[in-house]
Amino acid sequence: MCGIAGIARPDPGVVALEPLGRMAAAIRHRGPDGYGFYAGSHVGFAHTRLSIVDVAGGAQPLTNEDGQIVITFNGEVYNHPELRRELEARGHQFRTRSDTEVLVHGYEEWGAQMLQRLNGQFAFAIHDARNRTVFLARDRFGVRPLFYAQIDRNLYFASEVKALFASSEVPASVDPAALDEVFTFWAARPPRTGFAGIRCLEPGTYGIWQDGALRLHRYYQLNYPETPLESKDAVEQLDDLMRTGVGLRMRADVPVGAYLSGGLDSSITSSLAAAVTPHQLRTFSITFSDPRFDESEFQLAMAGEIGSVHAIASIGQNAIADSFRDIVWHAETPLLRTAPAPMFHLAKLTKASGIKVVLTGEGADELFLGYDLFKEVSVRRFCLRRPESALRQRLFDRLYPYLFDQGRGGEFWRRFFLDAGPLSDPLFSHLPRILLTSRIKDFYSPEFAAAVANNDPLGALRAELPEQFFGWSPLNQAAYLEMTLLLSPYLLSSQGDRMAMAHGVEGRFPFLDHRLFEYAAALPTGSRLRGLKEKEILRRWARRILPSRISGRGKQPYRAPDAPSFFAPNAPAYIADMLSSDAIQRVGIWSARAVAGLVRRCRSGQAISFRENQALLGVLSTQLWHHQFIQSAPSAQTLDLSAADMVIQEGVPAAV
Amino acid sequence: MYTKHESLIREKIRGYLDENFLYMMPNFVLDDDDRLLERGVVDSMGIVEMLTFIEDEFGVKAADDEISEANLGTLRAIVRFVASKQSIVPA
Repeated sequence: MCGIAGIARPDPGVVALEPLGRMAAAIRHRGPDGYGFYAGSHVGFAHTRLSIVDVAGGAQPLTNEDGQIVITFNGEVYNHPELRRELEARGHQFRTRSDTEVLVHGYEEWGAQMLQRLNGQFAFAIHDARNRTVFLARDRFGVRPLFYAQIDRNLYFASEVKALFASSEVPASVDPAALDEVFTFWAARPPRTGFAGIRCLEPGTYGIWQDGALRLHRYYQLNYPETPLESKDAVEQLDDLMRTGVGLRMRADVPVGAYLSGGLDSSITSSLAAAVTPHQLRTFSITFSDPRFDESEFQLAMAGEIGSVHAIASIGQNAIADSFRDIVWHAETPLLRTAPAPMFHLAKLTKASGIKVVLTGEGADELFLGYDLFKEVSVRRFCLRRPESALRQRLFDRLYPYLFDQGRGGEFWRRFFLDAGPLSDPLFSHLPRILLTSRIKDFYSPEFAAAVANNDPLGALRAELPEQFFGWSPLNQAAYLEMTLLLSPYLLSSQGDRMAMAHGVEGRFPFLDHRLFEYAAALPTGSRLRGLKEKEILRRWARRILPSRISGRGKQPYRAPDAPSFFAPNAPAYIADMLSSDAIQRVGIWSARAVAGLVRRCRSGQAISFRENQALLGVLSTQLWHHQFIQSAPSAQTLDLSAADMVIQEGVPAAV
Repeated sequence: MYTKHESLIREKIRGYLDENFLYMMPNFVLDDDDRLLERGVVDSMGIVEMLTFIEDEFGVKAADDEISEANLGTLRAIVRFVASKQSIVPA
């Protein structure tokens, strides 16, 4: 896992090392083990390295034999030994053991068609000097990030947006419509980012830049060819996919650890990892010192069961507030939840324990319909078929028992779900969440509200749904929306890649093996969500490898302390600064009057509602985001070029 | 029109709504017959918070089937509901 960056210019002239050095410095946290540069005619690349595969020989950027093809690569190609054998049989000669070199030769052999053969998580750029192109590609589900900007026909790309700004050639400004999407969906919808003119390469796509123009293509489309009946060997297939999926992700030249939350998904990945690792498995979890959110009992039970050496980071109330500024710096977007904070601290613990690669259970809820949202869709559909039935509506109370004691939400609570939108709306599944999230827009300043008045994020999304979407079952439509709206742009980013890479830790996701996705997407939905029992087939299979108290355990809602942590007596001073009326007015996105009311209620301990918690996080993170990226000049810090592992310059022999 | 007693209830509930919900909507003026949920003044979770306030403040208890639009949907409905509950003297 690493950081990548680069510049491509249509006009002749060697790309200078200076901007590349600054770009690399901005993402040094992603690759603390080394760095390197390529400065060629038209194109320059930077690379910061976290060495995992071929620790000795894997420095980047890397070229082919004649130097015509250069790559800068972030990620892993798990099936690289198999691809290498195939390429060697076709006459390709390898100089290193790295998966990076497999991409170079794979590109020579297959061009863009290579992407279909990769099993992995990746974002990379390949410069082909023969036709002066830059080939950018990103993995199927968007595990690894890749951002770009095009200015005056020049192309700038990087693993994180801050590296684009560090080039000093890409300006930072707000895209109001994208922020409006953040406050609708929790994240801007790819390819948008909160920054005007800066896009992300969408998951499952690649781009070819030539002569100043970037052309984008999709190589992978999510599909749900649901079958009516579960095949007789469905559980055996799942067994094979889970074991090989984990086995592939244990490939590394350094020990691979695992996150272990005590829930089903990470217990599965940890248990399978423990069975195949040549090392004693190290597992890690986070818990809160507040006993209401403490999960350590289950975490330790599972660690004992699989025999891992387990470490727990117990974080107190102040940890969230103390680290929130750094979290926004790494996430590069406003946030509506504090959930990235525990992931940030978990990665910190992992790194401090000497582990830089971990398996995690992310993706299982999307593939096997684990989230409450999927049950909610079923219940809402069920109720709307007979809206007059009060009995049917009581099901909502069963869905969220932790929110209300025995039906205290009453008619209003049920009506919230039932009135969220009609069955005929393609976004039906997500409308309650979208409505709840959008309540933060009440806090917009009049000026910002006017700037986004004509923005219609739901209309735009409806218009861009793929044609196949309308042929899928309602639960698969919901699963698709969850994968595209939340998994890649929020979970894998703000809670995943960014929090782990803040500490130079690489997450690996066995549930996001595309073979497993394709298997799950073809199952009858009843095999995944049976009645109100989520992840049914996964539980059925997991009984083979896990004790029943884990495999049968219902999903625990993830909860963390929110607003109160920012107003504790010893809360850091930046919070008051960011929320002051002056600061709010300077940024101009939020209403100073409404925020003053919110702060008053938070200080007095009254702001305990979901809506206010969300508003506080949205306002504070937007202020921090604006302060750190829009108002502040980008860092001029650079890396010492003489200490680079690798500098390849046009016309100059490679210095290693 | 409200009775004197109802007016006192109204002032307290109105104050509660201002303090807890309407501060988020600086440009909105609430009418007594505005539907709270529909106008976005409170959401369904807010209803539960409001109910807790009403029960604590006025010493009344709402049964599950009384948590309805008819009883809690507008400021006027809430005032009537609280007043009627208070008029029932427990046996």
